[in-house]
Amino acid sequence: MDILEVRELKKHFGSKTVLNGVSFSVPEHCVFGFVGRNGAGKTTTMRAILGLLKPDGGEIYVCGERVRAGKTAAAGTVGFLPDVPEFYGYLNAREYLTLCGEITGIPSRTCKSRCDELLKLVGLDHEKHRIKGYSRGMKQRLGIAQALINQPRLLICDEPTSALDPVGRKEILDILREATAQTSVVFSTHILPDVERVCSRVALLEGGKTAFSGTIGEIHALKAGTDLELTLTRAEDTEKVTAAFPNSTVSEGRILFPKATDRECAELMAFLSAQQIPIMRLERHEADLEDLFMEVIGK
Amino acid sequence: MKGFSAFLKKEFRELIRTKRLLILLCTALIFGIMNPAIAKLTPMLYEMMSDELAAQGMTIREITVTAADAWAQFHKNMPLLLIVTLILNSGIYTAEYSGGTLIPLLTKGLSRSAVVLSKYMAMLLTWSAGLWLCWGVTYFYSGYYWDNSAVHSLLFSGVGWWLFGIMLLSCNAFFSAFANSGAQVILGTGAVYFIMMLLQMIGKIKQYVPLRLTESTALYQNSLKPSDCICAVSVTAVLSVLFLLTALPLTRRRQI
Repeated sequence: MDILEVRELKKHFGSKTVLNGVSFSVPEHCVFGFVGRNGAGKTTTMRAILGLLKPDGGEIYVCGERVRAGKTAAAGTVGFLPDVPEFYGYLNAREYLTLCGEITGIPSRTCKSRCDELLKLVGLDHEKHRIKGYSRGMKQRLGIAQALINQPRLLICDEPTSALDPVGRKEILDILREATAQTSVVFSTHILPDVERVCSRVALLEGGKTAFSGTIGEIHALKAGTDLELTLTRAEDTEKVTAAFPNSTVSEGRILFPKATDRECAELMAFLSAQQIPIMRLERHEADLEDLFMEVIGK
Repeated sequence: MKGFSAFLKKEFRELIRTKRLLILLCTALIFGIMNPAIAKLTPMLYEMMSDELAAQGMTIREITVTAADAWAQFHKNMPLLLIVTLILNSGIYTAEYSGGTLIPLLTKGLSRSAVVLSKYMAMLLTWSAGLWLCWGVTYFYSGYYWDNSAVHSLLFSGVGWWLFGIMLLSCNAFFSAFANSGAQVILGTGAVYFIMMLLQMIGKIKQYVPLRLTESTALYQNSLKPSDCICAVSVTAVLSVLFLLTALPLTRRRQI
């Protein structure tokens, strides 16, 4: 069963249409990347999924249950990490998690052990200070801990890595990957390498619609041909190569062979060898999410 | 219910750690001590100024101070204590709605009604503690120096201010359901007070206006009896409940 299903979601603010038919679904135990430019409507979609915002059209189902605005999801269903999580500065991490646990209705003994477990998971187990002194990365980690306290079946993270340094980003991604043993994760981002690092499925949001939705494998299949890039030792050999391969183009001293098949690659190598042309580098470019993203947004 | 009690606990922790409770209780205590102290010191102050006044041609005869003077001070200081309470509590809803601190808790199943009601309960308890502390201290000292029994309807005058304050706290919850800042909430509550002042000028409906509950001086002198205030008490209670109950669906509809 799909843990989350979004059908033809629509939302406008005044005359500005933000969502114009967003649809995707998230199966269980998967990390789902929700990709789009800044202002593409990722946060709006997530807030609608959480019932914090009333959509103008479309339907959202979490664990088979329809989401209604203003009404909170059944306890234990959803965990949410906002893009900039805000906490009560006068509490410390343990007190905040205990508050979250009490609200969810976890029995106090279980709550204590669950807090210990989560604080250890996010590396805040030795932190005794109040939250007002926390760095952004620490707040983000506490954000993950609070989102996981009720062992949700769906964890929604809004740009969890955008504001962090490389070390902080890696930590958050590792925690998210670990969390998939218990939950499905949807995370929105515009940092494409993060998506490729942890996600098994992706949806691309552009112009208020889902431009693409599928597995990482499907993305690679979509861009079947790989590009070849050749750099020669002697610039004067360039003409010889381009004359033999009319599909190729020259850019900044490099020769590009767009969507070259394996056979074309072999032919190129045979030609270079036969002509005794020395090369500096021959590189294959696997189609990646960035290529697809650029293609979708038309750049 | 579990959300309500957990959130209420958090509210109290907030009241203590942000020192809001301390500020309110200190203000109440200072007023409570000042009420009889000012009455007690009045003859001494006049005596100190007597030479100056004599030079201006005024002669001061012996001034007798009674418990009524201390309670007159109580009546003067109550609006200040109420304003302090309202200002301290003006942003408790709006800061959470706009600051994003509620979002993680709401997504965990905390109902918005539990948020509104637990914050209201916290306001109610702090206002009650402040008011009755001030009343109690004034009662103790004016009983110690003079005789409280000479002043009428002392308890009822306290109850009147208490109910009036509760109504304004309900206003706070009501305006917070759609206002964007604490200042807007204060403005709205102020507007309600202003409307009541205008209504009080109309003779026929005067007895129904909640402001009647704050006419402590008339109560002390027995020119106004508690039985004359039944209509105002009922209107105040109904308005308090109405403001609070209307705040619930409005907050549910609010975009957070």
